[in-house]
Amino acid sequence: MATSNAAAHRARVRPRRPGGRIAARLYAWGTLTPVLVFVALFTLFPFFYALVTSLHRYVLTIPGKPYVGLGNYRTALSDAMVHSSARTSLIFIAAAVPLVTVLGLGVAVLLNQRVKGFGILLVLVLLPWSVPTVSAGIMWRLLLHGDFGAIDGFLYRFHAIDSYVQWLSGSKLALMSVILVHAWREFPLPVILFLAGLQTIPPELTEAARLDRASAWQRFRWVTLPLLKAPLLIVLVYETIVAISVFDVVYVLTGGGPGSATTLYSWYTYTVTFKFLDLGMGAAMSFLMAAVLFVFILLYMRIVRLREAEA
Amino acid sequence: MSRRSWWHTALLALAGVVLALVILVPFGFAVSASLQTESQLIERPPPLVPPSPTIDNYRYVFTGQVPEAYKQRALLRGSVTQEARVLPKGLRNSFLVALGVVLVNLTFGTLASYTFARQRFRGKQAAFGFILASRLLPTMAVAIPIFEILRQLDLLDSKLGLVAIYSAFTLPFTIWVLTLYFRSLPPEMEEAARVDGCTRFGALRYVALPLAAPGLAAVGAFSFLFSYSEFLFALFTTSTTHAKTIPVMISAISVNPDASYTLVAVGIVMSIAAPVLFALVFRRYITSGLVASLTRR
Repeated sequence: MATSNAAAHRARVRPRRPGGRIAARLYAWGTLTPVLVFVALFTLFPFFYALVTSLHRYVLTIPGKPYVGLGNYRTALSDAMVHSSARTSLIFIAAAVPLVTVLGLGVAVLLNQRVKGFGILLVLVLLPWSVPTVSAGIMWRLLLHGDFGAIDGFLYRFHAIDSYVQWLSGSKLALMSVILVHAWREFPLPVILFLAGLQTIPPELTEAARLDRASAWQRFRWVTLPLLKAPLLIVLVYETIVAISVFDVVYVLTGGGPGSATTLYSWYTYTVTFKFLDLGMGAAMSFLMAAVLFVFILLYMRIVRLREAEA
Repeated sequence: MSRRSWWHTALLALAGVVLALVILVPFGFAVSASLQTESQLIERPPPLVPPSPTIDNYRYVFTGQVPEAYKQRALLRGSVTQEARVLPKGLRNSFLVALGVVLVNLTFGTLASYTFARQRFRGKQAAFGFILASRLLPTMAVAIPIFEILRQLDLLDSKLGLVAIYSAFTLPFTIWVLTLYFRSLPPEMEEAARVDGCTRFGALRYVALPLAAPGLAAVGAFSFLFSYSEFLFALFTTSTTHAKTIPVMISAISVNPDASYTLVAVGIVMSIAAPVLFALVFRRYITSGLVASLTRR
């Protein structure tokens, strides 16, 4: 009924405005142009510029800019430091993504329980995500400091450790610390997505399972979890994309060190570009990363589309 | 809901308390550290609650009056750093940049989204796809070219340059969320307004816009938080206090081995106050905006 009314409206409106079609098109492109110009200037143009740069040997400290074809890509793919940073990134992703996902899911299930006072937690949970990553990183840098840090201070006071632990300057520990701080900052987003998913599950379903004497774990595993498949996939892929491009936390926590213990691929790309000033190589490394990212983004879009089809 | 045993409730409450502590302790420690003197803070373990709270550190940042505690030279460390004095300027820069980006998003973003949601014309799908696809670009790849563009436009080390970059980064997201939002509104009222002689812009301004207020709040909050927090581009396109934003300034202080921890803590508190407040005020809109943008297309 409503749609046929709208159609009738439109039919009545149109004949009254001669030249309305041209005016409409002018208005449409008029409103789109500023946005298109912004986006083209800061993404389309830079994209092609970087693509061209990646095909040249372009080091700011060396004069000349010869065309080298895929030379930079070949160098990058055979460079030992690139390999080791890619490995470090893989470890980071393999640890951070499941950690963030499980944390997010756990907290979402917790907050979905009706307990008096949990309303305030729903407010608090957004905080780590809302502050600048740099601020969160520095906050943790104070807590994890190997000489004056509060965490060492209290572990020592209560005899949990015999001597101060160098959280940020031991090579294995430093990577672990970066992963934990990243997880602390990143977990609110999955919480929100999982909570939204949980709230669409009709309570009758879990109630029915309860009447069938299913245990809490069984209810979660066989009723709740299957219904959370879509948000789960979205979180996994989205967090992988975030983990591949992580940068700010490394900058303030470890600067890629000690040695190269926390030199992630994204950090090494930054180093090559801004410290070694090897713009050609840096661009090539960026595009290699972009290729990997692209696969995940396609995956992400497929999942979101599937979800839409299901709904 | 049915009965829950008391120990079950107690367990849930305990988990809730742990969660609150994990979230709040880092914030609380930063606030506490900013109210102490350096000699108190480097005790092992450092006090969780300031033994004798002092605002000397803040006074130094805002007025330049060096705290008494730093005049004892016998301390292990505790040098004040001049870098901390510019923090208020960084805060101001961050605010101006973020507000500028919000303004661009709410004007150009709204206009474009309304067109995408309500009009049919050739090239619409292509334009929409182009804008959304631009989000897929890894920022590191476009960093150098963007530096080059800013140099050409004479916008290096300027707030305007940052506003331009961040607008380009946030507009796709804004248009995505707002287009979905406008589409979800019933079109009848706008059509009635058009019949009564309202222009296209008038229908947006007087009919659709008031209804879309929650969507506008969401994208406003997002573009604010993004621009306020962004680090990489602020780091390499700015060079003086004229445009350096607060994340760039506090990162410089924190990696300076001579800077006192109490001043680092002051920097943290100054940088998180606004976003924390923002998140609390706009929580509902942020939450719904996040869910809509990440799970719908």
